[in-house]
Amino acid sequence: MALTGLEIYKLLPRTNCKECGQPTCLAFAMQLAAGKVSLEKCPHVSEQAKEALGAASRPPIALVKIGAGERVLEIGNETVLFRHEKRFEHPAGIAIKVADNLSAAELASRVETINRLCFDRVGRTHCVDLVAVENVSGDPAVFAAAVKAVKEKTELGMILISEEPEAVAAALAAVAAQRPLIYAATAANYEKMVALAKQHDVPLAVKGENLAELAQLVEKVVAAGAKELVLDTGARKMNQVLADQTQLRRQALKRFRPFGYPSIVFATDPDPVRRVTEAAVSLAKYAGIVVLDTVDPAEILPLITLRLNIYTDPQKPIAVEPKIYEIGAVTPQSPVFVTTNFSLTYFCVAGDVEASRVPAYILTVDTDGTSVLTAWAAGKFTPEKIAAALNESGIGDRVGHRKVIIPGGVAVLSGKLQELSGWEVLVGPRESAGIPAFLKQFWT
Amino acid sequence: MLLIGERINGMFRDIREAIMKRDPEPIKKHAILQTQGGARYLDINTGPAVPPEEQPEVMAWLVQVAQEVSPLPCCLDSTNPEAIEAGLKVHRGKAIINSTTADPWKMEIYFPMAVKYGAALIGLTMNEKGVPKDANDRLALAMELVAQADAYGLPMEDLFIDPLVLPVNVAQDHGPEVLETIRQVKLLASPPPRTVIGLSNISQGCPNRPLINRTFLAMAMACGLDAAIADVEDEELVNVAATANLILNREVYCDSYLKTFRRL
Repeated sequence: MALTGLEIYKLLPRTNCKECGQPTCLAFAMQLAAGKVSLEKCPHVSEQAKEALGAASRPPIALVKIGAGERVLEIGNETVLFRHEKRFEHPAGIAIKVADNLSAAELASRVETINRLCFDRVGRTHCVDLVAVENVSGDPAVFAAAVKAVKEKTELGMILISEEPEAVAAALAAVAAQRPLIYAATAANYEKMVALAKQHDVPLAVKGENLAELAQLVEKVVAAGAKELVLDTGARKMNQVLADQTQLRRQALKRFRPFGYPSIVFATDPDPVRRVTEAAVSLAKYAGIVVLDTVDPAEILPLITLRLNIYTDPQKPIAVEPKIYEIGAVTPQSPVFVTTNFSLTYFCVAGDVEASRVPAYILTVDTDGTSVLTAWAAGKFTPEKIAAALNESGIGDRVGHRKVIIPGGVAVLSGKLQELSGWEVLVGPRESAGIPAFLKQFWT
Repeated sequence: MLLIGERINGMFRDIREAIMKRDPEPIKKHAILQTQGGARYLDINTGPAVPPEEQPEVMAWLVQVAQEVSPLPCCLDSTNPEAIEAGLKVHRGKAIINSTTADPWKMEIYFPMAVKYGAALIGLTMNEKGVPKDANDRLALAMELVAQADAYGLPMEDLFIDPLVLPVNVAQDHGPEVLETIRQVKLLASPPPRTVIGLSNISQGCPNRPLINRTFLAMAMACGLDAAIADVEDEELVNVAATANLILNREVYCDSYLKTFRRL
């Protein structure tokens, strides 16, 4: 995002001295906006103006990395308010709390459980990202021991939750190399916290009481030399969280620098349903990290799924795995449908097959996630490819017949497909809504 | 896409005669036709036949007559600041002032007037030296207008930059420069000012005027044009505006897009 002519003009001294070679400061601003001259041409420009012009070339929201090695979490670098404008770039991190006053055995078992919060979604594994160790004991030594114990049990990145610089310093001694996130710098402790973050090169959370105070505090923290920040607006009630997260993102995209960092949100409701709902709102609305105090897989699975959905790229078609799907209690006599692996196509077909009450197989051919007619037009849904899928998928071993039903829209493929595959090709209806009637009529 | 109906203008004979006789009917007729045709503003111009001392009174009369039969706001079109102010005083809704140049003495009159009445303002990229030739010179004047809007506190989206369209038969080389200006104006400020053209100027004195008008409209819209003062009684022209709007993804597609574009 380059600066506009007006923004540059406001940073200039407005002397109209012509020393830059332009007739007026306004003309110079125009040339700068168009990238035709450099700022060095102006001998009277202030340091503040140089800084502002430099800042404009940075992305509106900084990229922050938490953790090290394989499981490093990257958040930030977002550019839009709505995913349909472009896409959301870096899926929010999900963090699970661990209190430092647990016994060694309790702590070990909780971290084990957190490590197992991994779920298979559309053929890939998705896990929680961070362990947030909280200094409940108030004792730096206990906190440091707990943090060290967690580090030994997990590869996940960590958040060190304590507003006591002493406790954070003690914990960092053991885990600085893992680049944990320090939580948090406040108005009271920020000098010491910034010093720790700089000394160990770790990201730092900044916590304000409200948006205005947060903005002031971030400016102080940045002036003190901290670079990688995560913001907490202090809001804990859902309506305020939503309002604050929206402002953070909106102002950051308008290049309000103090808010140009990812955020952290705590879903704190004691009721599990309300807690998951809070976290879900934060995932949909701009949070960089969502912290929960639960290890119940039933709470985490919907959040993992929602995160995956929200952060998919709307420009790319969503595909299902190309394989054999069983609908209902299939038998060797069940019909076999062929379609593409565009998820919209597959779910239409699957839904209508289900509605027919006839158990059936659906074989999805890999068409890079494009629909039947799109794939056919692009040469991705050819007799050769369908024949190969019939042969290689193993569907022949699962059914006693050799009949395959193809979409009515590509009836033209039937002859060639029959020849290549040796299967009898039945041309189904053009619309999957016609499948129940088709099966009644043609499949006995 | 904001279409500003050009028809209530003393340059047209029927309007000129209506003004002479103070006959409201032709004014009303065109106000209604343009409202139904897809206009979002009605341009109101007394024409040069009205002597300057009568212009304020005529402007106020035209505005009131037009707004009697149309819910649309007006675009007050005059080189006479008294006439503009007289129109603003009786106007209902958010008016557009048409126009100021980039001359300081004019900007000093019109920017405060726009702010005082909560009106938008069209700023022409020209000054006493005339109409600049290339896009860069037009942009430099646009920048002057933008800087003034900022200084006077006129919201940027209430400033319409008009890069001045000239007839294609006598000023052919200005066409591409105007398109380039429309494209570049968006880089001057954030939020950016809006852009407007006097579309019918492109075809002044040419054959096949509607064809030239609608071709240029589509091209200008592709460059990011926000508004045009145009003949909205030309159904084909409005169809082009509706279609370009669709292709630019400014409206969600539906099969009846020509109808929805015209709906108020």
